[in-house]
Amino acid sequence: MRHPLARFLLRRIAVAVLLGLGITLVTFVLTNLVPGDPVTANLGQRALGDPAIVAQFRAEHGLDKSLPVQYLTYLGGLVQGDLGMSQQSHRPVLDDLAEFVPSTIELAGGAILISLVAGVAFGVIAALRRDRLSDQVLRVLSLVGISVPTFWLALVAFYVFFFRLQITPGSGRIAPDMNAPPGVTGLYTLDAALAGQWDVFASAVGHLLTPALVLAAYTIGLLTRFTRSAVLEVLGQDYVRAARAKGLPGRVILFRYVLRSALVPIITVAGLAFGSLLSGTVLVESVFARPGIGQYAYKSATTLDLPAVMGVGLVVGCVYVLINLVVDILYGVIDPRVRLA
Amino acid sequence: MATRPRRRTAWQARAALLPVLLTGALSLAACSGGSTSTTSPQSSGGTSKTLVMDASFTLKTADPGRNYEPTGLIVGKALYDTLLTFEGSDVTKPLPSLAESYEQSADGKTLTLKLRQGATFSDGSPVTADDVVFSLNRVRDLKGNPSFLLDGVEVAKTDESTVTMTSKTARPELPFILPNPALGILNSKVVKAHGGTADASDKAEQYLNGASAGSGPYELESFNTQSQVVLKANAKYWGAKKPTYTKVVIRNVESATQKLNVQRGDSQVALDLSGDQIKSVGGSFQTLKTASANVVFLLSNQDAAVSKTTSNPKILEAIRKGVDYQGLLELAGEGSVQAPGVIPTMLLGALPADQAVKRDVEGAKAAVAASGVSNPSIKLEYPSDLTLQGLSFQPFAERIQANLKEVGITVELAPAPVATALDNYRNGKEELGLWYWGPDYPDPTDYLAFLPGKLVGLRAGWKAGADKELEAVGDKAATTIGDDTRKQLYTDIQNKLNASGPFIPLIQPSQNIVTAASVTGLAFHPVWTVDVAALGAK
Repeated sequence: MRHPLARFLLRRIAVAVLLGLGITLVTFVLTNLVPGDPVTANLGQRALGDPAIVAQFRAEHGLDKSLPVQYLTYLGGLVQGDLGMSQQSHRPVLDDLAEFVPSTIELAGGAILISLVAGVAFGVIAALRRDRLSDQVLRVLSLVGISVPTFWLALVAFYVFFFRLQITPGSGRIAPDMNAPPGVTGLYTLDAALAGQWDVFASAVGHLLTPALVLAAYTIGLLTRFTRSAVLEVLGQDYVRAARAKGLPGRVILFRYVLRSALVPIITVAGLAFGSLLSGTVLVESVFARPGIGQYAYKSATTLDLPAVMGVGLVVGCVYVLINLVVDILYGVIDPRVRLA
Repeated sequence: MATRPRRRTAWQARAALLPVLLTGALSLAACSGGSTSTTSPQSSGGTSKTLVMDASFTLKTADPGRNYEPTGLIVGKALYDTLLTFEGSDVTKPLPSLAESYEQSADGKTLTLKLRQGATFSDGSPVTADDVVFSLNRVRDLKGNPSFLLDGVEVAKTDESTVTMTSKTARPELPFILPNPALGILNSKVVKAHGGTADASDKAEQYLNGASAGSGPYELESFNTQSQVVLKANAKYWGAKKPTYTKVVIRNVESATQKLNVQRGDSQVALDLSGDQIKSVGGSFQTLKTASANVVFLLSNQDAAVSKTTSNPKILEAIRKGVDYQGLLELAGEGSVQAPGVIPTMLLGALPADQAVKRDVEGAKAAVAASGVSNPSIKLEYPSDLTLQGLSFQPFAERIQANLKEVGITVELAPAPVATALDNYRNGKEELGLWYWGPDYPDPTDYLAFLPGKLVGLRAGWKAGADKELEAVGDKAATTIGDDTRKQLYTDIQNKLNASGPFIPLIQPSQNIVTAASVTGLAFHPVWTVDVAALGAK
């Protein structure tokens, strides 16, 4: 336990557990404060007229117990890895999450990858070619990316690429006449590649590209702007000028001197942006009909499906914790002056 | 700010190439992804045919005993044959299916069904009277959403090929209820082997969400309540007409995308287009615009404790006369019709279109003046996130607000998410409510719920005894056998409702379905929307 990294990780995990507890408590209390009854949201009009059916529904979902008991029962299950039963899908929440989370990981992961590569590259180019045409164009584009609403962009992208240009496939995660690849990770791209089903792989990648690009639009714009200003600031530093005077090759100056120092603010912004990426998935998944956690969250919330809402809350909380952890570790890797402890 | 390099270096030039390379790579990847998966599902040709159908899902289960959502009924209809059925879009004549004939006793308390010989489940075993008794008892005793369909009905096996259904009171609607996919017949051996029982302790749902155990034209290949349901043709189907499509994929797609998918050929059927969307679909597609069986109505609370305004009969009259029905109809789009009464147009006992209420602005103003309420103001509650046949309730509420303003009634709009709004509606706490009712089964008996003291009547604060004459006609209609007499009774009931009842029927929005030119045999059905097995290909 002397190692600073171990101590750091341990502290982070403890915080994550507390955070998870907080998330469940807040979601539980808030959902119960909403005027509305899961019974009304889930049973049909006629079934609602039958007290026996209503009583049975309440008993089945533990809604007949007092609120503190309901919460403690939930926590008791949680400790054993049981997230309860979803009222809308009639399945364990854990099964639902296991099915929908990989789809969203694929989407958000794709978006993160695209925005890191494109955002940093565009930002560097804009900084190096400051005030020239390419800089102006990139700055306008990044502004567009930041300000255009995701929902609109998703609809337009679907219309243009799928319907007009006919270069991308339609709704879903793979072509409707294909079977899902054997489930190992739940990520269709990876599973298809592992199974060597290259037609399924191509279909999965094709179905992933447009939604990932749309989801990345905002973060690309954001990263472009931040990278540009960070790089510009570093470019003006004396040590960069010294390096250039020494006659070091441009590649070395860019990657070892400029980018390395510029990366700290870039990573801070990227971490924040990726955390909020999940909220964009609701809209993108809905337009591209990708069954993911965003759609699941929306449906659960509108049907007051408490176990599902709490399950999604926990997943989102974990993602935040994880991203922050990665960002903090990266700080230390990039800048040795930063100490984890 | 320090000086910045003006000299164009080699690494700058290389960096400038990056966006070009990136864009190129992305579009290349997009193309390669697209080209493999845009092949038409039907092009696999020959013996295998796939049909892709897009729907906005309302789906919870594939277990018939618990199934009661619109998308669930599409799936249920394909997987589970029922004792009786309907043909095409007709709902006035129950036809034989697993039962080859039926006979109702004169007092309406006994229904005798003769089972067809030779019908088999998808595993090849015969459909027996025991399967029928188990399946129907299970629906009734599971205490799930469709349990009420068989409330108070006893099912018994008379002999190997006869089943009798008896009830304490007359159930003239029973033959119209039996075609409901929730009453599909299960292979009782299979279901029992997977935890199935005919009571609330039943554990077979998980199994039935992964595999089907029915005698219908299709079997369940995969099932997901959020993304898609895949059906495969039942190779051992007993019926004379085998399904055309070997595989049917029903996908959860929102309506804006549904249209593009069907136009592009990614799907062959789009189920939930709005009136606006369907206008611009184009010539090479088949469009079907049929008035749905959903009746959108206003309810005006009669409980003085909830509202002194809406319980005033003159105010109720003013609202009824003040609404611009034609305007609402235009808002709903082509294919929609004005609801002449609470019973939708395609059911037995529906009022003819010319008996629908008409707008009378002067009459409405006079009624407001006669009400004794000065500057009446009413709160209108409605579900804000609900769409019905692609229509949102918001524009209708706004239009009603404008209509009533013209006659001197101020309407305050109070939208709420459906999960919240339902609570007030169900508890009869709404002053003025905008809701809809879809038939639980295509028989007018279902609409007796609108009478005083009944399910919907109470939601309008209309307690038993509020209109004794009307209630007496209702009681008679509930137990009368014989189509002609029933028709007369239900006409009478609706005319009375239209004269002084707290419900103001507005419209039946159009169900708009678009199919590819290759799809044949499409018909809209008020209970199961589309019979997948009836679809053909040319």
